[in-house]
Amino acid sequence: MFETLFWQVAKIWAVLIPLFLAVAYFTYAERRVIGHMQDRRGPNRVGYRGLLQPIADALKLLFKEITIPTQANRALFVIAPTMAIMPSLAAWAVIPFDQGWAIADINAGLLYILAMTSLGVYGLLLAGWASNSKYALLGTLRSAAQIISYEIAMGFALVGVLMAAGTMSLTGIVEAQAGPVWNWFWLPLLPLFLVYWIAGVAETNRAPFDVAEGESEIVAGFHVEYSGMAFAVFFLAEYANMLLISVIAATLFLGGWYSPVAGLPVLGPALAWVPGVVWLVLKAAIFAFCYLWFRATFPRYRYDQIMRLGWKVLIPVTVVWLVVLTGFAYTGLGPWF
Amino acid sequence: MRPLSEYLQGFLLVELLRGMRLTGRHLFRRSVTLEFPEERAPKSPRFRGHLALRRYPNGEERCIACKLCEAVCPALAITIDSYQRQDGTRRTSRYDIDMFKCIYCGLCEESCPVDSIVLTRVDLFHMEDASERVIDKQGLLEMGDRHEAQIAADRAADAPYR
Amino acid sequence: MEQVIFYIFAAVLLFAGAMVITVRNPVHAALFLVLAFFNAAILWVLAGAEFLGIALVVIYVGAVMVLFLFVLMMLDINVAPLREGFARYLPVGALVAALMAAQLGGVILAEQAGLTGGMIPAPSGETNNIQVLGALLYTAYVYPFEIAGAILLVAIVAAIALTLRPVQRGRYQRIGEQLATSKRERLRIVKMKPRGGGAEQ
Repeated sequence: MFETLFWQVAKIWAVLIPLFLAVAYFTYAERRVIGHMQDRRGPNRVGYRGLLQPIADALKLLFKEITIPTQANRALFVIAPTMAIMPSLAAWAVIPFDQGWAIADINAGLLYILAMTSLGVYGLLLAGWASNSKYALLGTLRSAAQIISYEIAMGFALVGVLMAAGTMSLTGIVEAQAGPVWNWFWLPLLPLFLVYWIAGVAETNRAPFDVAEGESEIVAGFHVEYSGMAFAVFFLAEYANMLLISVIAATLFLGGWYSPVAGLPVLGPALAWVPGVVWLVLKAAIFAFCYLWFRATFPRYRYDQIMRLGWKVLIPVTVVWLVVLTGFAYTGLGPWF
Repeated sequence: MRPLSEYLQGFLLVELLRGMRLTGRHLFRRSVTLEFPEERAPKSPRFRGHLALRRYPNGEERCIACKLCEAVCPALAITIDSYQRQDGTRRTSRYDIDMFKCIYCGLCEESCPVDSIVLTRVDLFHMEDASERVIDKQGLLEMGDRHEAQIAADRAADAPYR
Repeated sequence: MEQVIFYIFAAVLLFAGAMVITVRNPVHAALFLVLAFFNAAILWVLAGAEFLGIALVVIYVGAVMVLFLFVLMMLDINVAPLREGFARYLPVGALVAALMAAQLGGVILAEQAGLTGGMIPAPSGETNNIQVLGALLYTAYVYPFEIAGAILLVAIVAAIALTLRPVQRGRYQRIGEQLATSKRERLRIVKMKPRGGGAEQ
């Protein structure tokens, strides 16, 4: 029994440590990429080409004091960062990194992910309310309303994937996409793919949907009052969530661990030696890069425009496409292969 | 009623993609950042930086204590006392500039009949104590001695336009 | 092992449930309710009903309780007046509690007495309970399911109708129009010749 326990814990760390590293270097990539998109250079002083910058930042945050406002609700104020990071790490449990490489390959994997992403909002809610600050409360209300609205569109998009794959297990969904690029779900489910991606950006409160943080209006939104490590945990949760959304997008719509030339006559065997996890990471990197690209490109949406987009555009689009999918499934003219 | 093409453009995210193309192109463009201590922006010969007092090539100080600069200084940063030297010339016994008051307008240089007070190219300097803000005659002359070559070159470069 | 886990989570569930009704701060109460839901979901998953368990988290914890908290945070309820009529409402509360206890007891004892109507299918080992649920909902229970859906739709329409105000006359933003404008409508670029030969003074 202890041996299985040990292996489970080892597996969890085998996912978490690369994840933390990825988060650290994702922040570095963000600053460099956005810098270059704005004709700047970004951090390049700490270590070779600034590669040690994230470590320096982490150390700095680690040694800073955590201040708790006197009027804050102490217990909730301290719990909030944990509540924010817990679901964004827990969701990684069901991601299949390769054939059979998942910590827990459960039947309701898709639902589990939906549940975990919807739990993330509690961290924001508690942080905003417990800080007892008007900016924090405003940020909280905005982000809570936004996350709940976009969850519906996201859920509908996932229903489309579920219909196409016929299973809720993430491994099953990836296996249903076996084959080269045009076998993956992004093609038959293109509208849902876009809706999922937009909703994913909105769920993580990233630009252009970052009214919850809105630096120019409400300072930093729900985490104005946080400093030091508590702030770092929120930061970590946000970036882990972004990576999570990217990896899920790669899993559900871009064929997970399959190589883009799998099953082709010459290229397929030629690239068969590349492990599946490499393909997954490369695909997720496309989405992660898009996050940065969006942030460098788009101005922030106004709050009512966000609500309009979520309720009046994305949800109808997904519902229409679900009906189309049902038609395909009923007539047997499957758009999937 | 909007034309159908606008709906189509909206749904195909044409404008968003156009914006992303712009930022995408800039990703590969040369960045305009200067890496400060190693790289510096070019400076004009007319640059107005730290103040200095000049000497003639024979080592005699130029300043004749006419106090025009003291009079013209809009920030009242200059304080001058004068006396008569043994050889009968009028010289300054005190020439203080308060660097906190100075606004680097360059009027003192314009008013000087003997090109004595000048603004150098030096723009990076600091004080560790507030009392060091007042630079006396000695300090200003040293400043001029140290940068004389640069100062002379800048004045020569600007001469055709004056 | 599973027994131990069950009792741990059951204990947390009971504790959270008790805290919901005893704690003073309404926000704390709502958070304890979240904890209770979460533990209930875990117990369901332990019992093999993973779909129901996760659905409980998605719907109640992820959406309903967030809205609850939302309202609680906005209202800033003063608790003291709420506690005033405790003795007056006690009989009604006790009656409801007794009724619920009796109903629960009825279900449990009925099974003991062998009075079940065969409604509860025994959990079979390796069945995928999402598929089983789906099959049941869309075959045996299709009418109740659809009727429930229709009732919810009516409720949504009713709620929207209640809050829908007549179009106000004041100035408000027509977002559709704002989004539909093009550069041509808003911006006029005027080309002007520079005046003189640059030698004015």
